[in-house]
Amino acid sequence: MAISLATKAATDSLEINRAPVSVGAQEVHKWLQSFTWDFDKNRTKYSTKYKMANDTKEQFKLIAKEYARMESVKDERQFGSLQDVLTRVDAANRVHPKWNESMKVISNFLEVGEYNAIAATGMLWDSATAPEQKNGYLGQVLDEIRHTNQCGYINYYFAKQGQDAAGHNDARRTRAIGPLWKGMKRVFSDGFISGDAVECSINLQLVGEACFTNPLIVAVTEWASANGDEMTPTVFLSIETDELRHMANGYQTVVSIANDEAASKYLNTDLNNAFWTQQKYFTPVLGMMFEYGSHFKVEPWVKTWNRWVYEDWGGIWIGRLGKYGVESPASLRDAKKDAYWAHHDLFMIAYALWPTGFFRLTLPTAEEAEWYEANYPGWYDMYGKVYEEWRARGCEDPNSGFLPLQWFIENNHPIYIDRVSQVPFCPSYSKGASTLRVLEFNGKKHSFSDQWGERMWLSEPERYECQNIFEQYEGRELSEVIAEGHGVRSDGFTLIAQPHTSKDGRLWTLDDIKKIGCVFADPLKSL
Amino acid sequence: MSIVVSGGKRGLTDPKIAAVILAAIPDQPLETQRKMNYFMTPRGKRINEYETLCCYTQPTPDWIPGGLDWGDWTQKFHGGRPSWSNESTEMHSSDWHKHRDPAFRWHALYVKDKAEEWRYTDRFLKAYSADGHVRSIDPIWRDEVLGDYLGAFGFSEYGLFNSHSSATRDCLGDTLRMSIAMIGLDKVDNAQMIQAERTFLAKLVPSFNESTDVPKKEWTEGSIYKGARETVEEIWQGTYDWNEILFSGHMIYDPLFGQFVRREFFLRLSAYYGDNLTPFFINQMQLYHSQTKGITKDMFHTCLAVDENFGDYNVSLMNMWSDKWLPRTVNALKDFMGIFAKIPTIAGVTDKAAVEAALGRVFEDWKRDYADPIGYKVDTAALIKTVLSGLK
Repeated sequence: MAISLATKAATDSLEINRAPVSVGAQEVHKWLQSFTWDFDKNRTKYSTKYKMANDTKEQFKLIAKEYARMESVKDERQFGSLQDVLTRVDAANRVHPKWNESMKVISNFLEVGEYNAIAATGMLWDSATAPEQKNGYLGQVLDEIRHTNQCGYINYYFAKQGQDAAGHNDARRTRAIGPLWKGMKRVFSDGFISGDAVECSINLQLVGEACFTNPLIVAVTEWASANGDEMTPTVFLSIETDELRHMANGYQTVVSIANDEAASKYLNTDLNNAFWTQQKYFTPVLGMMFEYGSHFKVEPWVKTWNRWVYEDWGGIWIGRLGKYGVESPASLRDAKKDAYWAHHDLFMIAYALWPTGFFRLTLPTAEEAEWYEANYPGWYDMYGKVYEEWRARGCEDPNSGFLPLQWFIENNHPIYIDRVSQVPFCPSYSKGASTLRVLEFNGKKHSFSDQWGERMWLSEPERYECQNIFEQYEGRELSEVIAEGHGVRSDGFTLIAQPHTSKDGRLWTLDDIKKIGCVFADPLKSL
Repeated sequence: MSIVVSGGKRGLTDPKIAAVILAAIPDQPLETQRKMNYFMTPRGKRINEYETLCCYTQPTPDWIPGGLDWGDWTQKFHGGRPSWSNESTEMHSSDWHKHRDPAFRWHALYVKDKAEEWRYTDRFLKAYSADGHVRSIDPIWRDEVLGDYLGAFGFSEYGLFNSHSSATRDCLGDTLRMSIAMIGLDKVDNAQMIQAERTFLAKLVPSFNESTDVPKKEWTEGSIYKGARETVEEIWQGTYDWNEILFSGHMIYDPLFGQFVRREFFLRLSAYYGDNLTPFFINQMQLYHSQTKGITKDMFHTCLAVDENFGDYNVSLMNMWSDKWLPRTVNALKDFMGIFAKIPTIAGVTDKAAVEAALGRVFEDWKRDYADPIGYKVDTAALIKTVLSGLK
């Protein structure tokens, strides 16, 4: 076989230079945009009113193997810390009990968000037409699997090595009992995966990740560390290293539709809806977990919120997108009001419903009450006094026969669930902006706590049909609901949830609850 | 002491804070059950780390079999379509959480393997180039077969990769979702490795064209990949049922067409044309194929085909899908036979008898591993005859 000119050239060049040659990730990536081709059926399976541009680029240009290398290095550091030094110093048994309980919720609920983001970014991978844009979303699909596993690892670690495994060891089964679950599903699950694909991207990447990731994943590490928890910073900061790429994906989503006419019509409405959807849950829940789920305090939640949400996201991040016609959400001003009081309102309800949780809650101590009053003037008159009353009536003692929920009933303060956000609220005892609105549709009543959610429901009631916990449990006795939802410890009768974290306090059992005879009622039925 | 912590003090290391924390911790752990997910049924004797970290992360209600949640979705698609629903697939299951990756790979284990493969690829390419191996490759094989037809095969892998997007979105279980995303990533990795090989050759052989233009033209307009392209397009975008996407791609098309092209064409023939570069990449693809085979056989054979309530129905459906996708795949192979006219003939290697033997290996492997477990009756000799009719 005759030697070709090319072979000869290759041979000649080898004689001159025998330096080892390889191929870099960028040399492969530069061809990625040409990997696709046009054909009749090449369209997304998930409709969107926007058109994503065919030539959209990604900012982080990874190929599959380089992605794996990068993540593997991070994993080595992270799991090395957890399995080596943190285990040797018995770190899981040096966490304040209140924070140990908070991590049952924070880690598991974040896991749900990460898990649903796998599906969400799968949808975006399908929706995008540009291979680079698909590649960006693909990297995020894999990241979200990573984060799901990482969040699970926190609960796994605390269960295996910590002071109270209950709740860490079965959160995936018991989380559905209580009042925080459905709202969490709205923001972290369905809000990411059910809707116009770009709308879902806005929920996930432009708001969830670019806005609430910072307080959720970064600020939480300061609170964790202050309360003795070094596992959470080890894992969550490793998660955060991926989030920048996800924010970039959200940015590129907007870039990809910037020249589409639909963007000028719908983008700001979708952004406003997404922001309100996310903030409606995260603002009160994060504030509650930080402030009421800790002993040592880092800073008032309202300050954290202002820095990350209002200034950093609402100002700087959205400002950068201004050239694409993106404006700060109209609902940002109302959210700012929620940042001050909504988490105090929510804690009151969460504590009142404590037996339905998969974690222990604690009423503020005297020194914490001082801190709240100093940072939220008016707190004592609204909340502190009530907590004193609850404590005086023995709310922490199983022999008392008193559940704080009874206080709401006795004082005619019904608790409703907002149909759209699924967040509970008590319009007659609240310092936040919640106001009761009730609408009837197809023979069913629906309660709402704000104008933004109500508007979403009025436009598309068929998207928000989910039963709330009061409708689901109506007529059922509380201990039955807890038992059915597996809310008990391994002895089969002691509740996972408890109204205190005192080492000397007695633990409540199913019998203690049953004696009280608490039966669920749907407040909408009495309207 | 004050409950306000400032200056970045840490509870683990600050003595005063640590003392307060330790005083609050119960003298004995409050719970003796320390095994996370203790309530689940493991695949083996004990719950392993993969099952602990992955199982029941899917928050589906109990009306989707296997779900632990209750009630409806809190937000639905415009018009009211549910977030996830049983109607997304014709397959039925008593428990959509039953699937396991046989290698029990959660994310950290998966990326660790691939990271090692990347590092080794880098070391291999440096040694290969320094050793001057490239001089031995037959120029027609190098410039036309690797340049054009291997490049074109990258589009098949890339198309299959994209077929995993909607399956990743729509599937009904957590271990399923993670497996689907991972086997999807392996497919784009294959496409990228093909381009990496072509880019590498371009660095060593000055006139070698690394551009994707000619391969894309071959893929979209040429005759050799016509049947493959049409099949991939139908799997990727013409099919909505996520189980059918996986079944058609991984239980029919790839074990037949993919295996023939990778194993029996590029891998087997490369050594005869002095090419010991391509096997390095194809062998990685074959590893992924093997891992994917374990995953998809678990999905369809270990879980769905023997489902306690729906096994018989599922097997019937798999047979129907085989009827639908097998002829297309056979046609893709028939078109691919045209490639043998493009390469220098080597007796006993590229002649009809050798090709027939290669097809025999692929079809018999497929019959044994994919068709027989679902009782699918297939005349492999007839199928091979059909494929060989494409030999020019």
